[in-house]
Amino acid sequence: MKGRYEDENLKWIPVLILAVFLLPFVLKGVTFSYKYYLYILNMAGIYIILTVGLDLLSGFTGLMSLGHAAFLAIGAYTSAILVDQAGLPFELSLIITPIIVGLSGFVIGFPALRIEGMYLGLTTMGFGFIVKRLIIALREWTGGAGGLQVSKATFFGLTIRNDWDNYFMIYTFVILAVIIARRIVQSKLGRAFMAIRDSEKAAQASGIHLAKYKMMSFFISGMFAGFAGVLFAHTSHFISTDHFDILLSIFFIVMILVGGVGSIYGAVLGTLFIVLMENLFIPLFEDGLAQIIRIESGELQVFIFGLIMLLFIIFQPQGLYGMWLKMRIYWKLFPFNPRKRFT
Amino acid sequence: MSDLLTGLLQESVSGIALGCIYALIALGFTLIYKATEVVNFAQGEIMMVGAYINFFFVTQFSAMAGGLTGWVFIAALFCSIIFAVFFGIILDYIINRPLKGEPVFSIIMATISLAIILRSLTAMIAGPISLVPVSPFGDSTIKTAGIVISVLDLAIIICAVILMSLFFFFFNKTRWGIAMKATSSDSETAQLMGIPVKQVYRIVWVFAAIVGVISGVLLAPRMALLDTSMSYLGLKAFPAAILGGFGSIPGAVVGGVILGIIETVSMGTLSFHFAWIKEINDIIVWIVLIAVLMIRPDGLFGIAKVKRV
Repeated sequence: MKGRYEDENLKWIPVLILAVFLLPFVLKGVTFSYKYYLYILNMAGIYIILTVGLDLLSGFTGLMSLGHAAFLAIGAYTSAILVDQAGLPFELSLIITPIIVGLSGFVIGFPALRIEGMYLGLTTMGFGFIVKRLIIALREWTGGAGGLQVSKATFFGLTIRNDWDNYFMIYTFVILAVIIARRIVQSKLGRAFMAIRDSEKAAQASGIHLAKYKMMSFFISGMFAGFAGVLFAHTSHFISTDHFDILLSIFFIVMILVGGVGSIYGAVLGTLFIVLMENLFIPLFEDGLAQIIRIESGELQVFIFGLIMLLFIIFQPQGLYGMWLKMRIYWKLFPFNPRKRFT
Repeated sequence: MSDLLTGLLQESVSGIALGCIYALIALGFTLIYKATEVVNFAQGEIMMVGAYINFFFVTQFSAMAGGLTGWVFIAALFCSIIFAVFFGIILDYIINRPLKGEPVFSIIMATISLAIILRSLTAMIAGPISLVPVSPFGDSTIKTAGIVISVLDLAIIICAVILMSLFFFFFNKTRWGIAMKATSSDSETAQLMGIPVKQVYRIVWVFAAIVGVISGVLLAPRMALLDTSMSYLGLKAFPAAILGGFGSIPGAVVGGVILGIIETVSMGTLSFHFAWIKEINDIIVWIVLIAVLMIRPDGLFGIAKVKRV
């Protein structure tokens, strides 16, 4: 299959996948607190599934969403209700929930046909607030503002007992999600998305049905988010509307921005970077700082996020993946000075 | 029945005052949008910073003067406005200049990150405890025809009207105002015509900061406690601006007042009479927003934009 992935070195992919699955064993060997790291990695994996879907919507189709936490919330609550209250098996919920969330993507995709840019950002933001309120209003099923307990998942007879089991389940889905997203991007669908992003008029002139493909983009993105939502509900075992804040939606955008808008690997890299930053590096450095000046712990974290985001937008708009590509090209052409060509 | 009517009227008055605050915030980002085409999501945070700065000056001056006199508030307002001038210049350097000509997506995210930075910085500096702002008018009220109006609400309305008319006049009649209009329609041609585009941008950001700070100063005493969640009101001003038509100053006023009234009325009398309104009154502005965007995306006063290819 040369041609489709021509510019990529595919032989590294199996090694990378193997590394992902060996990581927990390495962690267990190296540290005592490996369970904590696994929990963080699990959260990162869930967010990766979501940001990959968000990247298809925002990065590839150019439709901005400031309400993706709402899709995550719908997914999490739907799955919790289906599994715990309707008694459906977890495997079935993994199929039904993404479809339901994808359909709810239609609800927000419909106004998106007429509006764009900032207006779309605001509409999706409003959608986020509305969904949060709806969840509280439907308190017979969702438990209202008090939150909802979620049972442990049973996957084909295997009960996901702890983060160790969960890691393997989540990362299998992460790898699947990345592969599917890459297939979508390289297909007719993905090319249509990119054409819409680059110029709606030109895309329309080339025979791309704008409404159809924009709706498709919202549907697919919603499905990814719904999938992430199912895993989220059964990983954290407790969901409440506080988890799905507007700030979370903004962080998702930060993740794809830091990783590099419009590349699937970028979304993965950015999510890992932000989640690891949030949970591992900032607490380290916060403890040191807290001894010098008295500081609110949560605020410093948010402050650093804002700063990272601003610096990336101003100085490195291509994100981490763009940096990596530049570096790779630099080494490939090493003796010649490629810097002039890539600035 | 007349009970309901009085209640509605009463709430409409306080809704107009709230709407004037929305209108002032909306005015802040309308100004920036008109001249630079940047959508400033941080306007609510500028307002919050203004409220905090004003609180700081009020406490400092009243400690110096030995009591809360009228002069303390005037001096604090004056100092806050001076602060706003510098603040606006700094924002112009940080946000506007590096992002000239970037896609909308990046600019929105940059202003959102500015909002995050401002909010967390304020929270870090001011500490976790909410402040109790003092109103220069105390609790004094005016009573007419069964409706009680607080002097503060009246002051907000008057201030808003004065500021709005000043800016409307400025934009349409003065040389600088016309220069701003020219810059907004085509900055390169404006520069070729001898308009100092950089200075125009700086002035616009300074004006937006001043409007933001003043709205913060006015809003703070209206709230029982002053904390960083005040900045979320800035987000609610977006539906107001869109309802009126984004980028139009009269639109900002009308949209702000309408939304203010809708919000206050639905929170008050109506929620006692209809249970379902109680459930939706904190998202009612967003429902209005989506409805407006679906029915008439250009708002009440906006002009339909011709898309350039």
